[in-house]
Amino acid sequence: MSLNLMKGVAGFALAAATLMGVPLSADARELVLYNWSDYTPPELLKRFTAETGIAITLDLYDSNENMLAKLKAGGSGYDVVVPSDYMVKIMADEGMLIDVGVNKMENFKYVEGPLKAPYFDPERKYTAPYMYGTTSFSYDTGAIQGLEASWKEFFEPRPELKGKIAVLNDQVEVINNALRYLGLPLCNENPADMKKVQELLLKQKPFVALYNSDGTHERLAAKEVVMHMQWNGAAHRAKQTLPTIDYVYAKEGISLWADNFAVPVGAKNIEEAKIFINWMMDPKNIAEASNFTGYMGAIPAAAPYLDDSLKTDPAVVPPEGADKLFIMAPPCGVKAKELMDKVWTNVRK
Amino acid sequence: MSANPLRRFPGTGLAAFAFFAFLYAPVIVLIALSFNSGRSSTLWEGFTLDWYGVVLDNPDILRAAKNSLIVGVISTVVSTVLATIAAIGLDRARFRGQNAVNSVIALPLVVPEIVTAVATLIFFLSIGLKLGLGTVILAHVIFCIPFAYLPIRARLEGMPVAYREAAADLYANEWQTFRRVTLPLLWPGVIAGGMLAFITSLDDFVITYFVAGPGASTLPIYIFASLRMGVTPEVNAISSLMLVVSIVFVSISAWIGRRSS
Repeated sequence: MSLNLMKGVAGFALAAATLMGVPLSADARELVLYNWSDYTPPELLKRFTAETGIAITLDLYDSNENMLAKLKAGGSGYDVVVPSDYMVKIMADEGMLIDVGVNKMENFKYVEGPLKAPYFDPERKYTAPYMYGTTSFSYDTGAIQGLEASWKEFFEPRPELKGKIAVLNDQVEVINNALRYLGLPLCNENPADMKKVQELLLKQKPFVALYNSDGTHERLAAKEVVMHMQWNGAAHRAKQTLPTIDYVYAKEGISLWADNFAVPVGAKNIEEAKIFINWMMDPKNIAEASNFTGYMGAIPAAAPYLDDSLKTDPAVVPPEGADKLFIMAPPCGVKAKELMDKVWTNVRK
Repeated sequence: MSANPLRRFPGTGLAAFAFFAFLYAPVIVLIALSFNSGRSSTLWEGFTLDWYGVVLDNPDILRAAKNSLIVGVISTVVSTVLATIAAIGLDRARFRGQNAVNSVIALPLVVPEIVTAVATLIFFLSIGLKLGLGTVILAHVIFCIPFAYLPIRARLEGMPVAYREAAADLYANEWQTFRRVTLPLLWPGVIAGGMLAFITSLDDFVITYFVAGPGASTLPIYIFASLRMGVTPEVNAISSLMLVVSIVFVSISAWIGRRSS
């Protein structure tokens, strides 16, 4: 037989075998984790496998909306996903989450604080808290000094910051914080109010170098921009490279978000998923995750295991009274969403 | 054959140099920065081999690279075989609907990739096919066929019919003619088509993103999802490794080609 034909037959055989999904071994326990990229330390997952004997397959996504789209488009087979606060509400309302009884799990006793009974899962039936963080802005104190702790410095910047500001490419975050700065209500259905937001953002536009959510800490540390709208964990990571970075707790209020573990409908390894979620609420394990990501978990007992660099960073451990400024935003209705879409399109075009 | 008259045209040397520089400089920078001791993929800080260690220690990126290679190899082989058959079949045929067949083969080239991606996903879901690595391979085979088809078709048309007629004169049947005359002469075209299909499959993002199931991430999908947290030289390292693997693979196939021709 000619070489080409042999290759062809081999190719077909291989294809057929793969299509039929030949399993690795009959008894291997496994878990498919669908997570944000760079959000769980690889060593932590390896330790999980070593301690429980469950192999983890990790798939990545970069936004809640992409994860939701994937699950809706027939992507079943994910055992644990990591939705943010508002996405949990959306998924729970659509019946996409399995009630795994997180509040009955052994390690749930370590969870304390406002994230024990959040608005999106008051009884903590579907979800377990993972990391929480805030979204504000940070700037390089080496390049500009004496800025006020207010959103004014970001939305109405000083003239020397022209072309030196980066804004997150996140419609909800930018508009919500603009509304807070203007003192207007969130999920705003009033076109006149949203017009004011649009004008504010358009006036800011000449100062903006780019609208981008990728590699924010790299961009700041490389001094490509002086001011960046950012999540506090990214600010912490930027600070490791460039110590003059300062994260601002704006007095008008900043966004609080919380990521959670959840088990979507269509999961195959539900028992393994429960073991994983319970394991991740152990103080030592959540501390290891915090040390890696630069965000805090909802488990106070993890404090002794945190790195010193985290404990001393005001971006990670907020100063006294700063938590009054944290506002978690529930998902908005259709009319409000339409106005937000319009404003964002007009600003970004 | 006389020397290429184009060489005497002023500026060709410079233009050629600039062209290759523009094409290869980013690749060289990519490989160079994989040895960067800093965490940035763009700012050079010092020399180290650590990132290759990180890559080899990261099971997820290795799985993504392995998936990319599996999908690439299988879809290349299958689509090249199918494309060869199609080229030979359409070469001498004079049947009704011939133009339609030609157009359908070229369809994935003409239709925007996002349309192919969504249509493929909807089709798989409607026939109840579960998303996974198999669906990725299936989708890749489909859109790699035209990429493999074109070089083979071009080579076939440039091949004088006289050789095949001579073989027939010497009492060779269809199968023998194919195996001992057509295929060896066609082989450079088949190799070119295969390489094109492999590169397209390895590189594809949009279609793969839509039809991949759990655990079936390929490297472009992994890198895209990693962008949010910032790209470290780990990506440079895995890209350099993929480059080496691709070069080895292509060299082997070219060597096999030279041996059998």
